[in-house]
This record gives sequence, C-alpha cells and structure tokens, in this order.
Amino acid sequence: MVSVFKITMKKIIYSLIALALLFSCSSTQVEKVSQQKTTTVDLTGNQAAPGAVLRDSVDLGEPYVRIYFDYDEDNLREDMLSNLLAISKLMKENSSYTLLVEGHADERGTREYNLALSERRAKSVEDFLTASGVSPFNIEVVGYGEEKPVDNASNESAWSKNRRTELFFIR
Amino acid sequence: MKKLFLLLIGVGNLYADLVLEITQGSEQPVRLALIEIGAPTYEGNEVIEIVRNDLLRTGEFDVLTNDQLLSIPASEEDVIQRDWLLLEADAIIFMNIQQEQGALDVEYSFFDIGYKESVEKRKVLGLPDSVRQTSHYVSDGIYEFFYGIEGVSSTKLMYVAKNSDIYRLIVSDADGFNEQVLLKSNSSIISPAWSADAKDIAYVSFENNRAQVFTQNLESGKRELVLSSNASVSSPAWSPDKKFLAFSTTKDGNSEIYLINLKNKELTRLTDNTAIDTEPAWSKDGKNLLFTSDRAGSPQIYQVNIRNKLKRRITTIGSYNARASYLNQDEIVFVHRGESDFNIAKMNLNTRSLDILTSTKFDESPCIAPNGNVVIYSTKDGNLSYLAGVNISSRVKFKLPALYGELKEPAWSPYLR
Repeated sequence: MVSVFKITMKKIIYSLIALALLFSCSSTQVEKVSQQKTTTVDLTGNQAAPGAVLRDSVDLGEPYVRIYFDYDEDNLREDMLSNLLAISKLMKENSSYTLLVEGHADERGTREYNLALSERRAKSVEDFLTASGVSPFNIEVVGYGEEKPVDNASNESAWSKNRRTELFFIR
Repeated sequence: MKKLFLLLIGVGNLYADLVLEITQGSEQPVRLALIEIGAPTYEGNEVIEIVRNDLLRTGEFDVLTNDQLLSIPASEEDVIQRDWLLLEADAIIFMNIQQEQGALDVEYSFFDIGYKESVEKRKVLGLPDSVRQTSHYVSDGIYEFFYGIEGVSSTKLMYVAKNSDIYRLIVSDADGFNEQVLLKSNSSIISPAWSADAKDIAYVSFENNRAQVFTQNLESGKRELVLSSNASVSSPAWSPDKKFLAFSTTKDGNSEIYLINLKNKELTRLTDNTAIDTEPAWSKDGKNLLFTSDRAGSPQIYQVNIRNKLKRRITTIGSYNARASYLNQDEIVFVHRGESDFNIAKMNLNTRSLDILTSTKFDESPCIAPNGNVVIYSTKDGNLSYLAGVNISSRVKFKLPALYGELKEPAWSPYLR
C-alpha cells in the first residue's frame, strides 16, 4: 500500500516537472512595442498663454538700484540700508510711485529652494520700506530664483553679484 | 577603473545631441555576444548596435565585438563551445530579425554556453518606424534576465535644454535619441514632473513673469494653469493616483506646501509657519510627502503625513539638504552639502546612515529611474550644465552632456511598457 502510494506520488511529480519543462521550453514571452505621440507648444511667437498676464513683458531696463545679500540669507545688510532709505524717502514724497522688487539667488543649491529664498529677499525689502512708512499697495514683489543671473560664472565674485534684489519704478 | 567612450550622434537630434560617456564601470560585468541568426542584415546590425549601447550604458555588461570572437555561429547548432569558454563569455544572445509590413519584430534567445542550449526565448513585436524602441525593449529584456530588475532603456527622459536664451522642454528616449520638444519658450522652465501614467506632465513656467504651474497633455499639447495667483506657484508633484498635485506657493506671504484636487480644485494646506517650505515629493503609497524646510535655520528634509499633517525631521547631518525623493520605502535621495560641494546623497530612514553617490561640485535635481536603481541629476562643467547618472547597485557612473547648449532639470518617466 505504502509503496504504491510512493510510486503514484513519484509519477505525479515527474509529470509535473515534464509539464513545467514543456511550458518553459515552448512558450516564448511576447510583448508589443508602444509609442506615444507628442505635440509641441511654441510660446516664442505672440500667441496668448492661458495664464493671466500679470505684467506686460516689456523690458524694464536697468534697475533703479540693486540690493545685495549674503549666502542663504534674506536679512538686509547694513551697507545696503542707505540705498533703501533713499528709496523710502522718494516714495513717500511721490505717493503715486509703484515699486517692483525682483528677488534673485545665486546658482548654488536647488532651484526651487532658491526661488523661495529669492522671493523672501524681495519681501525683506518690502518689509523694510513698509516699516519706514511706504504704503504696501505701492510695492510688488516677485521671485526669480537663480533663473536670471547677472554673471554666469561659477565663482564667489559672480555669486555675490547674483544674490540680489532689483528695484524698478514701474508707474 | 575601466573607461569607455561612446559617441552617439543621432540623425534626428537637432537641439542637444547627447554624448554618452561611461566614467566608471562595474568590476564584474556580464560578458556576452549579440549575434543575428543567419546572414547579417542592415536592420539586424542596427538593432544590435542599439542594444549594445544600451547594455554598455548600464556599465554592467561587457559586450563582445565581432573581432573579439573566435568563431561566429550562424545559428545555435554552430556554436563551438570551446571558443566561448576561452572568451569566458556568460551567454550568447541570438537574435532573429523578422520584417512584417514595415515593422521589425525581434525574437531573441539566451544561449547558455555551459549547457549548449537556449534556456529562454522572448519576442518583441515592433511598429513601423520603431526600430529604436523595439531594440530598447530587447535591451530591457536582457537586463532583466541577468539582473532580476527591470531595465530602463525603453523609458523616457524629460529635461530642459537652454540654447541662446531659448528654453525647450524636451522628452527623449533614455539614451538621448528621438528628442521631441514639448514646450518652447523665451522664459525659464523648471521642475518638470511626470504623471504616474506618463500621459501628462506638470512644470513651472515663467512666461508670465512669475513662477506658475501648468499641466500639459503630451499627445494633444493642451495646457492648463493649475492655480491662478499673484504669488509664485511652483514645485509640482503628481500624487501616485494622479488625483492631486502637491506644490508650493507664496500666496500666504512665504513658501508653503499645498495639495490641489485636480478635479474640483479644492486646496489643502499642509505647512504653516514663517520658514520656506517647498519641494514636495510623494511616497509610493501616496500617504506621505518629503519636503524641504529651513524652519530650523538651514534647509533640511522633513516628512509630512498628508492625513494628519504631522511632520518629522529626516536629515540632521550637513548644512544643506534639499530636493528629496523616495528611492523606496526605506531610503531617500536628495541634494546634500557637506563641507563645500553640493552632491547627491542617499539616506536610510531607519538607520539614518548617509551615503554620498556623486563627486562633482554642483550636483542637483536628482531624479530616480522607475527601477529604483539609477539616479540622474544635473551638474556643471565650467559654466555649462549637463546631465549625469549613477547606478546605485553597481556604482557605475555615466554622463549625458549636450554637444552644445545646456541641459538641466531631468525627470525620468515611469515604465511605459
């Protein structure tokens, strides 16, 4: 009885192995190539983009003044304060003036962190001016991160020039 | 250290021809030969050349050239075993190339030199004009056979190319060929990201003089502004189920992380403090986000649970840790600044052990291949940025520098197969 059972088990196992071999030999794994079509969107012409146009993309020219910052810092440097006090005086005397403060960062570190850092630099300038009595309604801030360097080199001299805010009178 | 240099110049590459250079190869590569069954054909040579370059680019294969061979068998029956044992080859890949109505099909088998027989047969059915993609499928099949993980030759890379003040968002094959321009702009484009099904992308465009997040359908080119705001909106990341986009915005005065439900546009705010919070990256299960925050004085990596919004600090070593993403459940990859250089590092979330993967000076924008084993990133040589990669298990490094212009912000597609 026992030996018959053993033989049957052996037979089953052998036939299972044979079956497995049969399938592994005869079956060819087949896959089909897929390809994705793409469309090019060209914004270099004049067509309107779906995002609201916030400001005419006219060339603002040279900034009225540049305020420089230390590495990974948004605190205003002491040597930059006299420039800002002059701007404050000018804006308080001419309440119709509107100032655009563009924040920038050097290339070191990640683009997204630098975008946030550059905007915080612009905010520092705004905060200083509003604390000195300028109306916040006359100040716009924007961050450009490391996207618009004034000097493309990778050295401390270039980086110190790129860590900046640029102030423009836009109205 | 082994040095290999391959120059790959594509006919259709108009914007940024990629040069592939393997800067460091594996110590123990798999050695094999690629042989077409029957007389060599033009198409067969083309397929073999593409597969050969794909395998070499992993740094984990040593592909024998015809002049290294002692005998060239026309079929499996002709293999002279002794010749192959002398070459210490691991296998022969026999390829049978068939042309069917303008499409190329490739049947390939793995010939075991020790056993003198084919141990497995696979077939890729091509489409008209898909020789490169068909060949990449073969490469991925070979990679998977030997290493047990999916190859990534048939996936895509997305990146930003800058050339004389024109920015192009480009998608190409993983080897840099077959470049398609998705967006061409006079303004900066950053942070491109794939949806999990690879049908849509998101990115930041400065076309309206401010950082704004757009989504774009690859096939139709249809674009959508994700959130209209007077403040910066940036750093998009699709949830694994494609229902949400995580992003950062300064609409509350400083950079905070939000989720937007893409269907009903409902916003959920995840961070709330006076520090910079940005660069969200989803966990595979969609339950947590990694993000960068300077709430403790310097940029460090944190994790937030999107349900209860509890946060946990992840990195503590180094003055600058940013742009993290999950490699798997237990490991993350990010930009790390040690003494002075910015490198790509890997960290185990349980042991907190740090592993620096790269050695150039300005390494950033790390992005992980869908097999979780290759990291591509951007780095700089002089004033020009280019793309480079590192294989995590073999530590093979490669470069994808542009012949002209600059390449940055790489994003590796999910599997497309």
